[in-house]
Formats: sequence, C-alpha cells, structure tokens
Amino acid sequence: MRLEGKVRKALEKHPDKNLSYRIKDGVVFLYGQVDSYEEWVEIGLEVGKVKGVEGVVNKITWKGYPEEKVREREERRKRIFEENKDKMIGSYDVVIIGGGVTGTAIARELSRYQLKVALLEKSTDIATGTTKANNGMIHAGIEAPRSTLKRKLNVKGCRMYERWARELNFKYKMVGSVWLITPRTLEKYKRYLPGPMYTFALRYILPYIVVFKALLNGVKGVKVIRGAKIFEVEPYATRDSVAAVYVPWTGIVEPYEVAIALAENAAQNGVEIFTNTEVVGFLNEGGMIRGVVTSRGTFQCRYVVNAAGLYADEIAELAGSPEYTIHPRKGVMVLFHKATGSYVKHCLAEIILPQHPRTKGGGINPTPHGNVVWGPTADEVPDKEDVSVDPEEIQLILTKYSTILSEFPRQKLIRYFAGVRAATFTEDFVIRPAKWVRNLLHVAGIQSPGLASAPAIAEYAIQKLREMGLELREKPNFNPFREATPSLREMKPSEIDEIIQKDPRWGHVVCECELVTEAEIIEAIRRGARTTDAIKRRTRAGMGECQGGRCMIKIAMILSRELGIPLSQVLKEEAPLFNGHVRGEAE
Amino acid sequence: MMEVKRDVVVMGGGPSGLAVAVKLAEMGRNVAIVESGDELGGILVQCIHDGFGVKLFSKALSGPEFASHFIEKLRELGADAFVRTHVINMERKEGAWELTAVSPKGVIRLSSKAIVCATGCRERTPFEIRVGGARPAGVYTAGMVQRLVNLYGVLPGKRILIVGGGDVGMIVARHLYLEGAEEVLMVFPEPWFMGLPRNVQQCILDFGIPFRPRTTVKEIIGKDRVKGAVLVKVDEKWQPIKGTEEFYPCDTVIFSIGLVPNASKLEELGAEMDPRTRGPVVNEFFETTLRGVFAVGNLLTPFDYVDDAVETAFIAAEGVSKHLNGEPRREKTVPIRPGPNVRLLIPHHVEWLKGGDLTLFLRPSVEVENAKITIKTGGSVLYHTRRRYVRPSMLEKIVVSRSLVEDKDMGVIVDVE
Repeated sequence: MRLEGKVRKALEKHPDKNLSYRIKDGVVFLYGQVDSYEEWVEIGLEVGKVKGVEGVVNKITWKGYPEEKVREREERRKRIFEENKDKMIGSYDVVIIGGGVTGTAIARELSRYQLKVALLEKSTDIATGTTKANNGMIHAGIEAPRSTLKRKLNVKGCRMYERWARELNFKYKMVGSVWLITPRTLEKYKRYLPGPMYTFALRYILPYIVVFKALLNGVKGVKVIRGAKIFEVEPYATRDSVAAVYVPWTGIVEPYEVAIALAENAAQNGVEIFTNTEVVGFLNEGGMIRGVVTSRGTFQCRYVVNAAGLYADEIAELAGSPEYTIHPRKGVMVLFHKATGSYVKHCLAEIILPQHPRTKGGGINPTPHGNVVWGPTADEVPDKEDVSVDPEEIQLILTKYSTILSEFPRQKLIRYFAGVRAATFTEDFVIRPAKWVRNLLHVAGIQSPGLASAPAIAEYAIQKLREMGLELREKPNFNPFREATPSLREMKPSEIDEIIQKDPRWGHVVCECELVTEAEIIEAIRRGARTTDAIKRRTRAGMGECQGGRCMIKIAMILSRELGIPLSQVLKEEAPLFNGHVRGEAE
Repeated sequence: MMEVKRDVVVMGGGPSGLAVAVKLAEMGRNVAIVESGDELGGILVQCIHDGFGVKLFSKALSGPEFASHFIEKLRELGADAFVRTHVINMERKEGAWELTAVSPKGVIRLSSKAIVCATGCRERTPFEIRVGGARPAGVYTAGMVQRLVNLYGVLPGKRILIVGGGDVGMIVARHLYLEGAEEVLMVFPEPWFMGLPRNVQQCILDFGIPFRPRTTVKEIIGKDRVKGAVLVKVDEKWQPIKGTEEFYPCDTVIFSIGLVPNASKLEELGAEMDPRTRGPVVNEFFETTLRGVFAVGNLLTPFDYVDDAVETAFIAAEGVSKHLNGEPRREKTVPIRPGPNVRLLIPHHVEWLKGGDLTLFLRPSVEVENAKITIKTGGSVLYHTRRRYVRPSMLEKIVVSRSLVEDKDMGVIVDVE
C-alpha cells in the first residue's frame, strides 16, 4: 500500500526507536517509546506531513509521560460515567461539546433551524480555553498553505466578520496589517544576494512574492508600500524598513467577547447552554452515539459535534472514533496599557525568513479597546492546561518586537498571559464526519487562524451535518441580533445622566481603571456570569493598570449579594477567590 | 446634570485630600472634595493598626481615628464632600478647570480655578516584577488583603507567602498571623526589611514570623488555586541564583512590592512626569506643570508617614491660595535635582517669587551612618545638615530657607554623603 510505504519511510528517520504503526482508513496510529517529549512531537509531525494521512493518533510514550495522571483521569471519568449514565437530562437533535468560539459559532448557526440543541461546557463559563487567551487577530488568509482547509475557511471567515460584528454587537475593527521588510528580513540568505542585490530583493522582489502568495490564496487588494509612505501608515515603525506589504482585510476583536456574543445569541434563539458540564463518556449503540454522559447527567442525542478544542482527541476516543491526537502549543503574549494605543495603527509584524520557530505568526497588534498586545510565542507543551509564563519568554517577546517599534513605551506593560493552541499533527482543521461512529462530527484541530475562520467553520460544519442526514428547517422567528451591554465608557455625559436617573447603579463606578459601573456588572450576572473572571471578560472590570487590585473585592461583593452566597464562595474561575474566615467567624 | 462652582475642588478624600480641604476652608476658601469610594478617609479606613499621627499629634492613632480628626473638622467648616463620585473627565475651560464626575445621583460638573489632586497611589502588581507561572485564585496584593481581612472578616487563604519586605507587607503579615493563618512566610530580595524599624520589631520579630531575605518568588504554581510557589535566592543585584530554586507549598501569595502614584489622569492631560517618583513634576507648593493643578500626598510619591503626606497638603493649600490671589511667579524656575546618592526628590523646582521656607523630601539610594545631606550649586555647598543614619527605606525631610536657592538660576543639587 502506498500510504503504508510513505509512513514507513517517515519513521525510518528514527530507526533506533523501535516504533510501530498501524493504518486504518487513512488514520495512522503510532506506538513505541521515545526519550523526550520533543521527539514525540517531531515524529507525530513527520507522519502528519505525509500526503494522504488523514490523522495521526500518537500513542507513543516518552520518558516522563504522566502515566499516573492519565490513569487517574480515566478512573475519574469512569466513576462519573457510572454514576450519571442513567440520569437522563433530555433529548436533543444536536449536542455540541465545547463552549469556545467554534462551539458557540456552531450553536448560533444551528439556532437558525428548528432543532433542539444543547451546548456543553466543562468550565464555569464559556470561552475559558483557547478562546480566552489569544491575540484576537482576524487574519486575512495569506499565511495558510494553499491546499489546506484552514486557508479556505480563513479567507471566507475573515470577510464574514463585519456582518457578525454588526449582528452580534461585539467590538471589531478592520485595521489592516502592515508587514515590514527590513535589512533583517532575509539575513539568512544574504550570502546568496551580494551587494545591491540584497536591497533590490528586499525592495522589489520579496514584497511581490507576498502579494502573489496572497493572490494564490484568494486574497486580493494587498499592496506594496515603500519609503515615506510606510511611516505615514505606521508612524513608529522602524526607520530601516525598506518596504512593507499592506493587507487591508485584517481585523481585531476580543476573542472571548465574540464567543460570549455568539452564546448569548444562540441562547436567545433557543440553544440550551450547560456550563459546569463535563463530558465523561458516551452511550453507543449500533455504531452510533445515543447519549452523551456528563458530570450533570446524560443528554440523549441524534447528532454530536466535537468542538472540545484541546480535549477534542480525548472526546473522539471516548466516542469511539480516535482519529487524531492534539499536541498543545502554548503562546505567551504581553499586554500594554491603553496609553500605548497611539503607537500602533495596524497589526504590525516584521517578515523574517525563515520564521523563528518560537515566535512565528506573532506580532504587535492593537486591541479593539485600545490596548496593544505583543506576541504570541509558540512552544510545544505536554500539558493542555499549561498556561504558565516563563519570565524568559517575556524577555524574548520584548526584545524581538522592540526592533520594529523602538520608541514604544515598554514600561507600560500591564499583564502577560499564555494560551494553548489545539493543534493536530496534520496541522489543519479536521472538520469531517467521524470515520467509525455514524453521528459524530469532528470540528477539531482549530488552531490559528481558527478565530478568523470561525464564521466559515460554523457554516461548513452545518453543511457537513446536513450531509450526515440532519434535516434543517429554518425557524421563522430566528433573531440574528444580539444586544450589546451598554457601557459607561462609551456614553456622553448627557446620556450618562439620563441612565443614572433611571438606575442609580450606573453612577457607581466599581472599576476605576476601565470605568465599569455596578449596573454593568449586574447586567453581566443577568446574562450568565457567575465568577469574577466571567465578569471581567464581559465588562473589562479588572483589566486596567492595577489589574483588579482596587476593584476585585467590590466585584466579589456584588457577586456574593446577587447570587446569595457568602463572599468566601465567590469563584475566580474554577476555585473560590478567597477561601477562609478570620478567627472566630463561623464558616 | 448638577453644576457646582467652587474656588477649589479636591480630587480624593483620603488623608491628604481631607487635610488640604480643611486648610483651604480654614483660609476662607470655598472648597469641595470629590471621592470615588463609599466614604471619606481613603486607605486609612482599612488601617486598623496604630502609629498614625506620631509626628503631627504626638499620638499613635489608628487609621480611622486619624482620618476622623480631619473629617470632623471638614464638617465643622461646612465644606462639601461628594462621595461615590468618580471623575471621568478633566479639562481646562475658559481659564478654569472643569471636572465631569458620575455619582449615583447623576452627572456632576464641577468648575474651579484650582484643582488639588490627592488620588494617592496603587499597589504594584506581580506583573511589574515579572513573576512567572500561572495566575490561579490565591494571588493578591497586600492592600487588597488588608481590606478583605479588616473590613469584611474574610481570610484570603491559610498558608501564606508574602513577597516584599516593606511596611504594608509586615503589617499584613501580623494581621494574618493574628486572624488565623496557619503559616506565614515573608520573602524579599533585599538583605533586610525595607520598612520602618518599629514595624520590623512589632510586626515580625515580636511574633516570630519567619522570613527569608535575598529571596524572591520566581513562579506561581497551581491550576485553579495556588498550590505553591518556586522561591529562588538572589544576589546583590537581585538576579536569581541558578540552582537555588525551591518549591514552597502554600495556598496564597501576597505581593507587597511597592506603590505607584495614581497619576494616569495627570499624565493624559499632559502634566510632566518624573520617572523616578512616577508621579508629577511639581514646584515648591506642589503645583504640577499644569497651572492651577496641585498634587499632594502619595500621588507625589508614597510617604512612609501619613504625617508627612499631610504636610504636603498644608503646603499645597498655601500654593492654591497664592494661585487664586494671582501672586507673581518667577520668569524662569530654579531646578532642584537629585544627586547620585538620592533615589528621588520632591519638589522638582522653585517657581514662585515669594513664599516661606522650602520643604524638601528625599529618599536616599544608599545606607549611610553619620550622613550629611547637602545642597550644592556649581562646586559650592550652600547648605548641609547631619543625620545619624539614612537608608532607602526612610524618606528624609529637610527645610531650608528660600533665599538659599532664590538666585541660583542654574539650579541646585541635593545629595547625601
């Protein structure tokens, strides 16, 4: 078999490892043991690159593989499964697993039709995984390789954002991106380009290669700019820029705002959203899933969508159709104070070829609320929930991007954070019916540009569901519009006065840095926020320079009052914000 | 929309704001305070320990006691105080300043010829010292914990690591110890505590609270809740020493790593800032480079004693009065610059033609016994005074005659040797 031969050849690079493989319907299962996690990733990627491979399930272990932890997790799932498999919650046409931007986008798209839909999220809130920690960039679609599904959906999805933002009322700005070409751009190839050839290549050849690549990918309107024009569009860009490529379509959003808006609109149109609901197993019968068993009970279903992000591989395996392994790729970002907003007009990056493996894809981006974000980095990590930041990574980011924006006031750094991308070894979106279970749709491997592609992913997923036999009858009363939460920041004094006369809580500023009032916090709670982090994502309370130092207690007290729970039971995200009482106070 | 017109509006109802308002009211000025919190008193409301007013009243009062002295005086004098009122905009309009504030009663527009900013300071965050790791529940700043414990009776956790060896950290350590924390450990990068000696004795040594100098936190560990922290030893330059990393199990990490003036609004308005203090540049009456806008108290730089912060308020009140009377200023200001052994210094220049003695505050960057504080110009020493001991943890105050610097157009340098 040809595929078999190619896989064998890919593995021959590691002859001493005693690795074995099995191929079933285009999916390669790898077995054996290697020394390091890096090798595990490398081998997976090599096999994933082989043409014709539709998925890599990497069962190889490495030294330090957390066997104990994996077993504990499995036992825990089994225990909850046994407890809850007979506890019926309800019967649904479609059950979506995962409340990130992908799951919520699919939920919202399905809410157009006469269907009973449930969305299950294991966390206390939606948008708490990959969706909450990325740089919010809506890519135009130039970077992805031409033959990939992510290229197709990225180009399409990017153009759908304007409408999404209008209907769903989240902040979106089509700022465009500027890719700088500098003397550093082709430094690695300089020896092949002697003397003036180098500058000529930078100035007149490379930019047009990028424009050509864009055209091949279906992205029009990309322009080359040179000389003073560069600094007209991006005044603080490094003075040694010799040319730049301008991409008008690039946009920026706050990713969690998108997912929250989608979820709210989906709920408005009848989708039932269950948070704190972790999937632990499936009830299968005759090659089909009949029930999704969760920590809350069992959801009977006709179709299941696996949009579980970092956990999509585990969900696929539990459902009986393991077709890929997720290898988490962490990205660290640095966030700056709003006072820096005037330094960056576009999504700004410097083209460096070949790309640095740890910072490829990163850059300097404005955010829709006026901050600036630098990054992300890219690091393979064994732990899906490893959102730790190594101070060295911050330094790496600061050093790298300072070269293109040297006057930027770096001391205005207010936070850094990490997110984890849910990459598969084939490094493309996996959106297809499961091979070995008839009513499961995989929507996995949604890494960058997953956010930009989300609107197109949702459409594509629904088309697949239709092909799988789901009948879609439009709902006559579908309402595509979601009302935004009003915000004091955006009101004129006369409007503020008017709204305070109706509700004095609008006059009580709780977060001074971001100007968030009690009324906005209460509205966020009304819309489903149950934790201080959930309130932060919906209102921005705590996102300013003091990072919640002044307002966190006030917010916790409002939550405590509104939910009728003691202050010590108010959650940050998954755990209580404070967890004790002073001596002599009753628990 | 409510319109309020006053001679002076004071932003911030903490000790310095209260003091300046009281002083101005006593001088017969029509004054109003705007405070964003629920009550007057500022940070003192949560400072239930004693030691306030030692210099001013020769008594060791608690925070609320100290504040209530000024609150009562303000009431007697009949000055307005708008609480739960947050200023959202500040602009110059036809020679006056106009503030737009929101309150539960509606929007208030306040206009005045002078503004005193007394917005205090905020706590530095762990991000400002590049602490690595994750951000689970259980990471706080010291002031936040003080408020939580003293006002709401809730402990942040049970096994506590405090990062930073300053006054706030020590006071919080003692409170947590007394209120039922199971374990408290303090770590700080300096060779010894950075706070007042009385706090070292009364908060740490008297209770036997363990501490580790030359140590900092490298990483916070934990997913949902803090599980511990990676501690690391540091050298003289505060650089982590490789191989000295150690996991310390705890459920709470409290950062007490310094304060930063709340000066963003002034900066946005274009007031010149001092990178050393991170507060505004001010003249001898603590007027910023925005004419008619004064800054007092911890907005200038965090003070060790509330008494000193209040003193800046008293001095500023005189300046406000001069401004309102339209008294003459110098054509060119006389710069006052810090020497190599001075970390920070206020005020930054002499701007008024007439006035009383000059009060200077400086924080040395070195620890010296039998120190000499000098004021020099060119090569010549204009003034010197001796201190038995100076150290970076103690803000020094000197009072000198105005005539000393009046004609030194090139400016003077203040140093410690």
